[in-house]
Amino acid sequence: MRRRDVLAAGAGAVLAGCGRDDAGGVPLWFSYGGKNREALLALVDRFNREEPEHRLSAVYQGDYFELLAKLRTAIHAGRAPAVTHVVAEILPYLAHAEVLEPLDSIAALQKDFGFVPELTQNGAFSGDKNRPVYALPFNRSTPIAYLNGSILKELGLAPPTTWDELETFALAATKGKEGERRYGFSCPIDWWFWVALVAQAGGELVDADNRFILGADAGVEALQFLQRLVHELEVMRPPSGRDYNAWQVQNQEFIAGRVAMIWNSTAFVRYLEDNAKFPVVCAPLPKRDRFGVPTGGTMFVLPKAKTGRMPAHWQEAGARFLAFMARPDTSNEFATKTGYIPVTRAGVELLETSGYYEKKPNDRVAVEQLRHVKPWPWNKELFRVQREVVQSRLEACVLSREDPMATIQAAQHVIAEGP
Amino acid sequence: MRPRHPLHPYWMLAPTLLVIGLFFLYPLCVAAKDSFYRWDLLTEPEYAGFENYTRLARSGELVGVVGRTVTFGLVVVGASTALGLALAILLNRRGRVYAFFRSAIFSAYVVSWVAVALLWMWILDADAGVVSRAFRAVGIPTMNWLGDPRSALYAIAFVTVWKITGYAMVVYLAGLQAIPPTLFEAAALDGAGPMRRFIHVTWPSLRPTTAFVASTGLIMSFQAFDVVRVMTQGGPVRSTTLFVYAIYEEIFVNLRVGRASALVMVFFVILILLTVLNLWAFRAGRRMKEAT
Repeated sequence: MRRRDVLAAGAGAVLAGCGRDDAGGVPLWFSYGGKNREALLALVDRFNREEPEHRLSAVYQGDYFELLAKLRTAIHAGRAPAVTHVVAEILPYLAHAEVLEPLDSIAALQKDFGFVPELTQNGAFSGDKNRPVYALPFNRSTPIAYLNGSILKELGLAPPTTWDELETFALAATKGKEGERRYGFSCPIDWWFWVALVAQAGGELVDADNRFILGADAGVEALQFLQRLVHELEVMRPPSGRDYNAWQVQNQEFIAGRVAMIWNSTAFVRYLEDNAKFPVVCAPLPKRDRFGVPTGGTMFVLPKAKTGRMPAHWQEAGARFLAFMARPDTSNEFATKTGYIPVTRAGVELLETSGYYEKKPNDRVAVEQLRHVKPWPWNKELFRVQREVVQSRLEACVLSREDPMATIQAAQHVIAEGP
Repeated sequence: MRPRHPLHPYWMLAPTLLVIGLFFLYPLCVAAKDSFYRWDLLTEPEYAGFENYTRLARSGELVGVVGRTVTFGLVVVGASTALGLALAILLNRRGRVYAFFRSAIFSAYVVSWVAVALLWMWILDADAGVVSRAFRAVGIPTMNWLGDPRSALYAIAFVTVWKITGYAMVVYLAGLQAIPPTLFEAAALDGAGPMRRFIHVTWPSLRPTTAFVASTGLIMSFQAFDVVRVMTQGGPVRSTTLFVYAIYEEIFVNLRVGRASALVMVFFVILILLTVLNLWAFRAGRRMKEAT
């Protein structure tokens, strides 16, 4: 055993717990709290009742990025869980590192589950469709707009469908002096929402050769738009904190009535509806040149076991659970309890025919918006570009009013330097 | 006292040396080696020479992180040392009221960092926070303390000072109580007032204590992580990305073991320099005390 293996094994043991047998159940790592956690745990319980021979044990591992940090260490140490879920943007990198089990080679998963195409690996990523399938859709989402229904009524406006209308709405909804101001609009200064703006401005993240261009002019225009809302019009206050902390802060400000409209994941439909004291109105994101949104959320993967390091039946248990979660009834249960998009076509049809969407029109917004989805590039550098190159520069550009053109050029320069 | 066997002292030291070797020296050597590689934990490491160091320097990240950490350290050490000394002088008296205040101030030091950070996030909230409300009530313009790049570093420095000042106060109290009362009596007989007694008796006697408080405070502030992780996650605009948080980000967010290891080595050198400074200050303080 090499020194690196010894060290990583130690770290993995600390992070993942020391046992490798499945006395406590076959490990499923997951990464969220609140309603989403309750919904997943209820489904794990149901799976354990239906298939007691594959008893799963769900283990919370922090937010998406904390889970990824632990997962990488555990995979290296040969102590990966049987099944976990990961953000879509890291799939190309994990596939390149050959640490994921190709799911189409597993008997229990060799069937057509009737997934909504835009939410599958092939639909969510551009490029070669013949690559092995490494991930199945789980909690999939798109960004949507949440509006305070009372303010909407008070202003007599409809949800904005263009960038210009967004400005008009935000200007009309912003009121009060500095310090006590109600802002018209809020959105985390985050890669995911910037990618949506780039798509709406007609840009692409990569060129025809799959090299990152970060939207080129559209990337710059997306930053200029955010700067204008924050500094010139003073109708947008970015939430404090980074990553999902900022998303949560923004939700709290919306619920407290301090912001009239936010952009956030469809994952928060149920949470915001249940906690706001005003009617919550959801709407698709507006367009500039065209409508466009990325997909978000996570997909299920089965980490590849190093020979002899993972009990033989774990893979079967993991695959059975994935098949269970791909059923229309189970995926719908998760979707309706949270706000995520139902991942099967049959599930969507069921909600439509049963009148669910008529009663809960906010749940339908993300489903209808799927026709405007822009797939992610299948590029092993995607996650690094997101986390290391772009994310921190977005914040600096928008909050500190750095030159958008220089920001995009600097990011392109770092990408060109290589990893 | 002579050992019964020449090897006995080494056997006595062995457990400590083993722990230091296993949990400090060995990982340090591994970090030194890894700092010359490109490695993401999952694919094979590639030899990169000094690239990790040169990229850190060229990108401006190293300068930024060192600058922020030094600023943070100076604010924290300066404020906590001055406040700790002032409180120690104020509360170095007998009586239940003074004992209560001493305990109350020190209690912040033993509360967990996460609890302190969450409490202050609420207090410093831009809209509903006590600080912003108080400012608005008296007509002083307020700001988004944790969300504005101009104020976020100072906001977390303030929280750190609030938490560790109790520790500085207790150390100063011990230092004050070790000064022979006869020195104060003699100075008073010579006609020295409270200020002159402080300048000519208290302060010179407390120099070694000050060196100790300042150097431990500096090392504590250089190791700040929890407060950043909970309150700002290094933002906004990396304005609170201090050294340890930058290392965490490189390895667990950016997948760069090599670059994180290079940061560890730079951090190690800085801590060594701080320790040398600490020893120098401590010895200089002792020499001055002996001279007086």
